[in-house]
Amino acid sequence: MKMTVTDKLTLLADSAKYDVSCSSSGSENNYKTGELGCTHNSGICHSFTSDGRCISLLKVLLSNICIYDCAYCINRVSNDTPRTAFSPRELAELTINFYKRNYIEGLFLSSGIIKNEDHTMSLLLQTLRILRHEYRFNGYIHVKLIPGSSKELIHEATLLANRVSSNIELPSAKSLALLAPDKSKEKLLSPLKHARDISLERHNKPISMSTQMIVGASSESDFDILKLSSSLYQKALLKRVYYSAYIAVNHHKHLPVPELCKPPLLREHRLYQADWLLRFYGFSYDEILNENENLDMQFDPKTFWALRHLDFFPIDINTAPKEVMIRIPGLGIRSILKILQARRFKTLSFEDLTQLKISLKKARYFIVAGSDYYRASHLYEERLKLALIHQGGDIIQPTLFDTSIYTGEL
Amino acid sequence: MMVLYDGSFEGFLTLVYEVYYAKLHVSAIVKKMPERLVFERVYEILSDETKATKVLHALQKHFTKERQRTIFNIFLCDTKTHEHSLLEYIRIGFKNPKLLGNITNPHLFYIQTLEKELLSLVHKMYGFTRFEELEDGTLYAKIETKFNILPFLGEHFSKRLGKIPFIIHDMTRSLAFVKDESSTQIHSIASFDAPIYSQNEAHIKELWQRFFKATAIQSRHNPKLQKNLVPLLYRTYMSEFQA
Repeated sequence: MKMTVTDKLTLLADSAKYDVSCSSSGSENNYKTGELGCTHNSGICHSFTSDGRCISLLKVLLSNICIYDCAYCINRVSNDTPRTAFSPRELAELTINFYKRNYIEGLFLSSGIIKNEDHTMSLLLQTLRILRHEYRFNGYIHVKLIPGSSKELIHEATLLANRVSSNIELPSAKSLALLAPDKSKEKLLSPLKHARDISLERHNKPISMSTQMIVGASSESDFDILKLSSSLYQKALLKRVYYSAYIAVNHHKHLPVPELCKPPLLREHRLYQADWLLRFYGFSYDEILNENENLDMQFDPKTFWALRHLDFFPIDINTAPKEVMIRIPGLGIRSILKILQARRFKTLSFEDLTQLKISLKKARYFIVAGSDYYRASHLYEERLKLALIHQGGDIIQPTLFDTSIYTGEL
Repeated sequence: MMVLYDGSFEGFLTLVYEVYYAKLHVSAIVKKMPERLVFERVYEILSDETKATKVLHALQKHFTKERQRTIFNIFLCDTKTHEHSLLEYIRIGFKNPKLLGNITNPHLFYIQTLEKELLSLVHKMYGFTRFEELEDGTLYAKIETKFNILPFLGEHFSKRLGKIPFIIHDMTRSLAFVKDESSTQIHSIASFDAPIYSQNEAHIKELWQRFFKATAIQSRHNPKLQKNLVPLLYRTYMSEFQA
């Protein structure tokens, strides 16, 4: 049966949706007169689906045909699902039509493995070539590097795309061997290493790269996961690590039973919060957690850290330097910037902070502002915990986007 | 005293002029004469090009580029009563520009917050604006926005649509940003005929709606979060929400 483009799109978008990344940020404005497309440094979200995830890119597989048999994947070869593929030209045209109407920032292209790795990578690159050379398209392109494909192809991908990525899938080599027998940690990381080396030779600013790992399908602790992320940020020059709450789509002897398994959304949310602390707040992974520990479900990682380090508090928000202030629970970077700006003109009190629309709900237990401090609870861990729980209602709802709504970053 | 002006930028600059030269003590600034007045004198400003230009030059001399832009940006927030705060902003700027960062002053904090609100709206509409292709290949978008952000959208899409002619139609203000081969302009739209769409348009729209549905993950269903991120008032012209 021959499928129409509409059928293909439905199927191949459905198969691609478990990839988390949808960011279109980090590329300098590359406007060229008279040409189509231009990237936007902060990234742009074009819509939000009914699960509250952003649509920034046309995220599809070129094909859901796959020779691999990864336990957790909906497209594994042993699954009996309809298979199809776009031709590179079909997909390029679709991208342009969507882009012109401002549905999307660009393309996120991935694929199942057709025949072999090099063949698949070549098809992806052909799509990119049509877009870049024929349509003169300068919009955002994120392409998956197919692990095991040749260096030349990876080289070309770094020339054509704004971002390349390769998913390390699971947080340890042991879990990989168990659940994705065709993949190994070395194989998954090698394209990222090539891409880094190639782009470092060319520019002082390396191509932006990301990866993704599934959380909740295997037994690693959050400590292991954060340790891995942190080493990836340092070594491989990754821009982002994405965490994907495991969604059971298959039965497998080493996996949770789909009927009993809900995606661990709160855990995923806590990991993103901790990831933020690693990247923007100057925390190291071993400050956030001790060995073998998991993130606390009741308190966000920053509050949890603060409760264990009460000797660090209270902090005087009129004098403390920025890097100390950002460790105060409940205050984000934007609030800190407002405080830094305002305190040049006067000594700030609690009332001033409220005037500046800074929420003191959590922060008040940890700060001194002029002669103001929160007298009702002293800095004792148990009392503070109670106070925080009672005023905050229950656990903070998981929303992936609370820090990212403005920038479009997920 | 209460000051009445015509709501135009020129009118506002004239107002600034009068504040300095006629030494007005301003208690409120209004665009329309209030229906009931209790013992209050109203001073009416008549827009005056010479006075306005004089003030404009003074602004250009005493304010940094960035702060001039803030003043223009605030004026695009046409559904908010920002005049009194903007006047304070200008007054403080003339006196001592260093104090403009003092957000413990409620007027200055209001200006800073309002500009952020504008820029965040602009950013949202960079994403949420939807074009439809007309018969002749022109791309046409309708918008309804809280503030007048056409200048921002016009510049943004000029950069990314290359040679394709396009129109962004602000339905609320009856304004349109029009770009074709020969010119780029903002027009005021008195009336318009329903446009004729290209043959391909309905098909592409259907593809987009299909994609929108297919890419959502059922087991993460969270319409409340979706509503926070795309509030209903943005959805009027977003075809994925009309199916």
